[in-house]
Amino acid sequence: MANSIVVDGSRMNKIIKLDTYNMQATCQCGTPLQVLEDQLRALGYTTGHSPQSKPLAQLGGLVATRSIGQFSTLYGGIEEMVVGLEAVFPNGHIARIKNVPRRAAGPDIRHVVIGNEGALCFITEVTVKIYKFMPENNILLGYTLDRMKTGFEILRQVMVNGYRPSVARLYDPEDADYHFSHFSEGRCVLIFMAEGPKAIAEATAAAIKEIVARHPECQEVDSRYIQVWFDNLNWDASDVAEERAEILETKNIGNTTEISADWEKINVIYEACVERIRREVPDMTLVGGHSSHSYINGTNLYFVHYYNVVDCKPEEELTKYHLPIKTIIVEETLKAGGAICHHHGVGKYRTPWIDQEHGSAYYILETLKRAFDPRGIMNKGTIFKG
Amino acid sequence: MIAMNILVCFKVTPDLDQLPPDGWEVDRAALTVETGFVKAMINPYDESALELALRFAEDAPGPVKLTALTVGDRSADRYLKMLYALKFDRAVRLETGADLRFTPEGIAAAIAAFVSRNPHQLIIMGRQSGVGDNAATPLLAAEKLGWPCIAHVTEIRSLQEDLLKVRAQADDGFLSYAARPPLVAAVGNVPHAYLRVPTLKERLGVREKKVEIVAAALPAEEGAGCTLTGLDVIDRRRAGLKIEGATPREKARALYELYLKERLAKL
Repeated sequence: MANSIVVDGSRMNKIIKLDTYNMQATCQCGTPLQVLEDQLRALGYTTGHSPQSKPLAQLGGLVATRSIGQFSTLYGGIEEMVVGLEAVFPNGHIARIKNVPRRAAGPDIRHVVIGNEGALCFITEVTVKIYKFMPENNILLGYTLDRMKTGFEILRQVMVNGYRPSVARLYDPEDADYHFSHFSEGRCVLIFMAEGPKAIAEATAAAIKEIVARHPECQEVDSRYIQVWFDNLNWDASDVAEERAEILETKNIGNTTEISADWEKINVIYEACVERIRREVPDMTLVGGHSSHSYINGTNLYFVHYYNVVDCKPEEELTKYHLPIKTIIVEETLKAGGAICHHHGVGKYRTPWIDQEHGSAYYILETLKRAFDPRGIMNKGTIFKG
Repeated sequence: MIAMNILVCFKVTPDLDQLPPDGWEVDRAALTVETGFVKAMINPYDESALELALRFAEDAPGPVKLTALTVGDRSADRYLKMLYALKFDRAVRLETGADLRFTPEGIAAAIAAFVSRNPHQLIIMGRQSGVGDNAATPLLAAEKLGWPCIAHVTEIRSLQEDLLKVRAQADDGFLSYAARPPLVAAVGNVPHAYLRVPTLKERLGVREKKVEIVAAALPAEEGAGCTLTGLDVIDRRRAGLKIEGATPREKARALYELYLKERLAKL
C-alpha cells in the first residue's frame, strides 16, 4: 500500500502477569504466543491456543485477526479466550477493557477490537484465559473413510451429543494424500484428540469410538500415525523459508481459503467448490480441503489449493490463479448462506465481498469505521471498502 | 536419431525429520528402527536426480526415454504413478521380498540385473539416502555393470549426440567432465533440489497406466559381504544449566567455583 506506515509492536513483548489463581495471563501485544505458552506449560498451564503459526505469531496479531487454533473445538477461538485488552484508537484515545469473567453492561465491546485487523485500532495489551495443561491424558484417534459426507455426519453427531474433543478434523482424499499418504490410501481421514481431566478425556474418546462404530465405512488406524502428525503440527521460520525455496524452484504455489457453514450446507459448498475449481482454474495440482473446527451447529472448511504458475508474469499470478479460486469459494459460500472467512480474517482479498457477507448488518460494521476512524487512516482497504 | 535411455533410480524413505529425538524406537535385536508411522517421501538426493533427468530430457537435442525405477513394496506406487504424470516413459518397481535397507550390494545387483535385461545408457540416482546412509549403491551398481561412476553430480547436459557434460562438486569447487555413456551419475547437492509437481489433468491422464512390477530374486551371495550386526542411536542431547545468584559477582563466582576452577587447574 502506497503512503502507508506499518506499526510493529513486536518489541512490546513483556509478559505482564501470569495469574494462576484467577486463571488468566496478561501480555503486551508483541509477546510471541510460543513464549507465553512455554512459560505457562512450565507451570502446568496452557492458553489452549495453538494455531499453526504459534512459533511466529504474537498476541496482538492473534487477537486482531480473530485467530483460531488447532484445539479450538474444546477451547474455542481467540474471541472465547480474550478476557480484556488495551487498544489505541486513531485519535489517540487509549481504551482499556477490564478483566472480568462476564458482564451484562451493554454490548460486549471486546468484539469491536477482536478481529478489527488494524482497521479500527491498534491492540497494545491482551489478557487471555489459561487452563490446566494435562497432556498425559491426551487420547488420539484416527480413521480412514470413503466419503466426506459421512465424515461431516460423524463430526455433527460428536458435537450435537455434547462431546468436545480438542481436535476434530476431517480431510478429503486429496488433502489426506498430501498429509497422510503413508496410510490414507486414497481415502478421507478423520482425526480426534480428547484431552482434559482423565475421566473426561476417556469418556470423550469412548463416545467418539461408539459414534464412529455406527459407520461401517470407517476403518481405525494406529494412533501412532496421528501422534507423529500431532508432533509436527506447527511451522517455524525455517519451515516457512524452506517452503519459499520450494515455491521459487518448482513454481508450484499453495494457498488456503477457509469458510464455515451449518451442517446442512457444508458438504454442498465443499462439493461445489472442488468441482468448479477443478473445471475453471488452469494448472491446478491439488484441490482439496479439511474441516478443522467444529461447533454444535456447523463446521469450517479449509480449502487447500495448489497450482503451477505457467506462462504468467509474477504480477499476473494473483489475477490468473489466486483471485479466481477465492472468487469461486466465496461465491459458492455466499450462495449457500455460509461465512466467507472462518479464521484468516478478511484481509484485502475478501474485502470486496464484505457487504454481501454481512447483508443488512453491514450497517453496524460500517458505522464502527465511521465512528472510530472517520478519516480512514487505519489499514486502508481491509475489511472496509474504499 | 536413436533415443537415449536413461534410468533414474529412487528410494522412498521415511521423513526422519518428523521423528523427535526421543521418538527413535530402536529394536536392537531385530535391527530395526520404527519408522512406519512417519510420512514417507522420495529420498531428497533421488528427488534431485529425478528433476535433473527431466531437465536433461527437455534440453537434449535428441529423443530421450526416461525410466523411473525403485526397489520396494507397493507403497512406492503412488510415486511411480506421479512420475508417469511427469512424462516418464516407464515406471518400474522391483519386488524382491527382502529387507534391503542396509544392503546396498543387493540393491545394486537388482539395478544391474534390470539394466542387463533393459539396456540403458545413463543411470542417474541420488548419492545416498537417509536410511542406510552408506552412499554405496551408485558405486556398486557401476562396478557390477563395469561402467564409470561420477559422484556428487550437480548437472548433466548433452554436449554432442553421444557425449555428456557432467558437472560435479568437490570439496573446494566444481569439476566438469566430458563423459561418454554408459555412465552412472550419483547426484549430490544440486541447485534445483525439488521435483516439479504434476497438474491434476496430468495425473488424470495417466490414471489407467499401470506400474510395471518386476519380481527380482537376489542372488544368494548378494549382501553377504557386509552384515548389519548392530544399531545404536547417537545421543545428541545438550544440557543447559541456569546459574543462580543475587548479583553478577555471585553468579561469576559460582561459575568459577563449580565449572571452571577444576578445568583451569588441569591446564
